[in-house]
This record gives sequence, C-alpha cells and structure tokens, in this order.
Amino acid sequence: MELRRVEESVFRVLMILSLLIVVGSLLAVIGTILWKGLPVLSIDMITKTAEGGYFLGKGGGILNAIVGSLYLAAGGTVLAFFLSIGIAFYLQKEYSGGTKLSNLTRLSLDILWGTPSIVYGAFGFTVMMYFHMRASLLGGIIILAFLELPIMTRAMEEVLKTVPRELKEVSYSLGATRLETTLRVVSKQALPGLMTGVLIAFGRGIGDAASILFTAGYTDRIPTSLFDATASLPLAIFFQLGTPSPQVQQKAYASAVILLVIVLAISITTRFLSRKYTKYIIK
Amino acid sequence: MSETHIQIDNVNAYYSGHPALKNISVKIPKKQITAIIGPSGCGKSTLLKCMNRLIDLTDGITYSGKILIDNEDIFDRKTDIINIRKKMGLLAQKPTPLPMSIYENIAYGPRIHGIKKKADLDTIVEKYLTLVGLWEEVKDRLNSPASQLSVGQQQRLCLARGLAVEPEIILCDEPTSALDPISSQHIEQQLLKLKNEYTIVIVTHNIHQAMRLADYVIHLYLGEMVEHGPADEVFENPKDERTRAYINGTFLADVKIDKVIDTKGNQCPYNFVYAKQALHSLEKGQTLKMIVDDPTAVTEVPRGMEADGHVVLSVKQKNITDWEIVIKKKG
Ligand SMILES: Nc1ncnc2c1ncn2[C@@H]1O[C@H](COP(=O)(O)OP(=O)(O)OP(=O)(O)O)[C@@H](O)[C@H]1O
Ligand SMILES: [Mg+2]
Repeated sequence: MELRRVEESVFRVLMILSLLIVVGSLLAVIGTILWKGLPVLSIDMITKTAEGGYFLGKGGGILNAIVGSLYLAAGGTVLAFFLSIGIAFYLQKEYSGGTKLSNLTRLSLDILWGTPSIVYGAFGFTVMMYFHMRASLLGGIIILAFLELPIMTRAMEEVLKTVPRELKEVSYSLGATRLETTLRVVSKQALPGLMTGVLIAFGRGIGDAASILFTAGYTDRIPTSLFDATASLPLAIFFQLGTPSPQVQQKAYASAVILLVIVLAISITTRFLSRKYTKYIIK
Repeated sequence: MSETHIQIDNVNAYYSGHPALKNISVKIPKKQITAIIGPSGCGKSTLLKCMNRLIDLTDGITYSGKILIDNEDIFDRKTDIINIRKKMGLLAQKPTPLPMSIYENIAYGPRIHGIKKKADLDTIVEKYLTLVGLWEEVKDRLNSPASQLSVGQQQRLCLARGLAVEPEIILCDEPTSALDPISSQHIEQQLLKLKNEYTIVIVTHNIHQAMRLADYVIHLYLGEMVEHGPADEVFENPKDERTRAYINGTFLADVKIDKVIDTKGNQCPYNFVYAKQALHSLEKGQTLKMIVDDPTAVTEVPRGMEADGHVVLSVKQKNITDWEIVIKKKG
C-alpha cells in the first residue's frame, strides 16, 4: 500500500517536472527572442530591402527576406496542399481499400517526414545543377512543397479518419457517390482539422533554412518572377547571426521576432476564418 | 398477404468468415411495416444493411444470395447501387445530421440527384419538414447548424432528409432507442402515417414497439430466421419456442411478481407440488416465480403447469445451476 502511494507521488512529480520543462523552454525561447530582438526592431527593418553591405552593418531592412519567405512558404504550401489532399483522400479505406500501395505510400511519407531538410536541399541542388538551373523562387517552392508534403498528408489523413462512419453512411444511403460524399460531407466535417494540417506544414515551410539554401538562393531584391533567386527569413537570421558585427547579430533576433509574428498572425487568421465553417460540425 | 416489395432469397452473410446471417429467405410486404426483432447480436442490423448494400462499407464482409427489389437483384454487381440507395431512406439508431445547416441537410439528397433551382429546393425543404412536423419549429432558423437541434428534432430531420430523395422504402435501425418517450412516440406516429405511401422495415429491440407498429414480423435468432409472419399471428400464437421465449422474456420486465419460491435442492415431482401449493395461495391472474436447479424440472414443471391451465410466462437460465420459471395463475 505504502509503496503504491510512493509510486503515485513520484510519478506525479515527474509529470509536473516535464510540464515545467516544456512550458519553461517555450517561454525561454520566446523571451530571449523578444528581449534581444525588440529593442532593435525598427520600421526600417520591415519596410526597406537590404542595401548593399547590409550584413556589414550598412542600412536598409529585410523586406526582401520577409516577402521572399512569404512567397516561398505560401507557394510551397499551396503546391503541397493540392498533392496532400489527393493523397490523403486516396489513403482512406473507401478509395485504396487498405491495399499494399497505400501502406507503401504511408511508409514513404513517414520516411520523408524524418528526412533532414538539408538532404532535401542537397537533392534539389543536384537536380537543379543537372538541368543547369540557377537558384530560384520556383526551385525553393518545389523543395518546400516536398518538405511540407509528408506532414500535411499524414495530418490530413489522421483527421479524415476521425470523420464518423455514420456520416458517410448517411451520405451513401441518400444515393451519393464516393466523390460526392468526400467533397460535400467528409471534407466539411474535417475542415478545421485539415486547416490545422495546412498550418503545421506552413509553419515548417516558413521556418526551414537548409532546404532553400541552395535552391532559392539569397538576394537583396524582392523577386519579380518565379525564376529570380529570393531571400528568406530563416536564411536572413542565419547570415545575420554569422556576421562579426554585434549590431547585425542583434538584428537577427529582430528578424526572428518578425518570423514569429508572421506565423502567429497566419495561424490566428486561419482559425478565425475557419470558425465560420466549424459551427456546422457534428460532434 | 399483400404484394411483395423486397424479396430476400437465401441470404448468407459473413464477417471475416463468421456467419452473421444464415439462409434468410423472406418476403417483405409492400406498404406495410415489417419489424425485425431478436436479441442483441442476432444479425438484425446486418440484414437491414444488406438491403441497401451499406454493408459493403464493412471490412471483411462477404455475402451471398439474392435480394430482389422491383425484380432487380441488388446483390448483383451489375446493379447500379446508387439508384437502389436512392429508393431507400435510412433512419439510423443515433440521429446523424450532416455537418450543414438544417436547410442543407434536407437539400443534400435532392441536390446530388440533380435538383439545382433554389425555388424547387425551397419547396422540397418545406414539404418534408412539414411532413415530419418540424417546419413550424425550425422555419425561422433554417440556416442554423442542424447539430443545434434537440436529439428528437434531429431524428425527425433525418427522417425528412431520407424522405426528400423520394424513396419507396424506409429502413430504420432502432430509430427511437436514443430518444425520449415523447420523441419516440412522435417518430412512431410518423411511421404509422408513412406506411400508406412507403414500405417500412424497422429493426427494434422493443417488443412493444414492434406490436404497436408492425404488420409483419421477422424474428432472428443467432443469424437464423426462426419465425416470420403477420404480426398478430406471431405475437398471439408464436410457433417457435424461441419466439415465445423472446416475446415473453421481454414482457417479463413489466410483469409484477406476486410470490417467489425457491425449490433448489428438491427433485421432481416435489418442486412441482410446492409450486402448486404456492399457486393455490395466490389470486387468479397473479404470478409466481420459482427457482429450480433440477434439470428435469426445467421442462417438466412448465409442461405440468400448462396442462393444469396456468400460463408459463418465461423459463430462463439464471446461472450454471439455477433456472427461473414464471407462471401466471389461470383465471
Ligand atoms: N463489423 C463487424 N465485424 C465483425 N463482426 C460483426 C461486425 N458487425 C457485426 N458483427 C457481428 O455480427 C453479428 C450480428 O451483428 P448485428 O449488428 O447485425 O446484430 P444486431 O442484431 O443488429 O445487434 P444489436 O441489436 O445489438 O444492434 C454479431 O455477432 C456481431 O458481433
Ligand atoms: Mg443493430
């Protein structure tokens, strides 16, 4: 009896400890960034593109990186979305029937999920070299789409699985086809979850540096076509931190604040928009 | 008997090889209410789902035989199942509104079958909501989520939604088991009204409900059809012992027991004698429950009592050794 009570309290302490570690590290990360970044954050940083020699402490801002990152992540997410939604629907029983091919697809996605992003970058670089292409927005978008694909697809698949079987049965019993059921009932019920999947993937896309280092390149200008190289926030942070000048290093933290704000803003807006549809969901 | 609407012919169904339906052959009459009764797990839902082939969605299911609706075999792979399903409305056990507004729930079916004009859809929505007695309650909030309705209202909405595709048959799987008594009564009244126009098949656990509604009864037991026939015949004079036990057994919950005797440890004929003495002390029409553990008594006591003109309401095994016999004194 005594031993069981001791076990119980030891376990409790462990749980509280892990909770504290999680919350603590989150607060520590955000705190550090804000503490170091906020003082140097200026209007110039978000309204001006980098001037020549920005990384040596010259003037200008990182608008080129902000816009570049938005282009890259938005493009990558949209591209990944169209691929993911198809794969996720296919992986449902009604379509694939739980065949070998669907299991193989799942396995491949899981392996891709675990693949470090530098590997994606290196792969993209090799392919682009082969075709004699220079680093470009398009290259970055494609690589990011592949990076986001496994996360998005697996998240969506899990969400689709949670759609109650009864709902599908209702739709079929009314004489709907599989496609009608999928598009008009299943995706409506799953919408908030699908959006979360997209958001998580977007978050990974906009925050990744390694995969776009060689594929999207880096430049001081805002890209005007898909074939221009483009700057990005993660790389801006990376390069700024890597300079010898302490002022420029500080700006890296300010850039991180901007990145954080973008991710938060997009997450909040999406949630707000999706609320309009979630009210119909059957619990 | 009236015209046959659904002819079930030698249907067998297996879940991953385990038989759930064995050689079911029965004709379901047109524009009548047919009740499928039987204990839990006997295959009622399986049989119902065969009729619109929703059973196809289940993993590991195999089935054989024929189900003819309007001379079309719906088990035939060549049959257009979409059209078959359109002929049948389904009312499930748990009210299941679609994730849409009240209006869209009704309009969903007609829309996928090609009705696009708003005015036509408006007419349909009003017509079927009125038919199930929901129109007055919801006409001011047609665009609010269907999930906000009460459970009873949701079930009526589901009925209206099924009717909106203009089926000929309504399949119900325990449609009132999740509802309160008033809502259940409401649904039952709807079904009675609808049987003038539709063939209705209802799975129910509730024998009283079956008695109130059914014109025709099918009794399933462990995947077999042990009895079927017009409701009054089956209920008043069941031919099969298992049907009698089932009908009596479910009645028993309502029966007031006036006296209980325990004759455990006694052999025949002593337990029979004790029971007769106990009955003697009761008024006409009162009931006696006796507990026995002598295997011979389980069959002989009921037989003897019936010979004396008493009514044996039920014989049930309570545990490995004990049986319970409920007898109503003649009167
Ligand atoms: N998806 C399934 N996989 C495997 N076995 C199943 C499945 N569904 C039902 N069964 C089995 O088939 C038999 C018949 O099931 P069914 O659901 O038709 O019974 P039921 O008469 O509707 O029971 P209830 O009154 O409890 O709803 C049961 O023994 C059940 O365990
Ligand atoms: Mg059932």
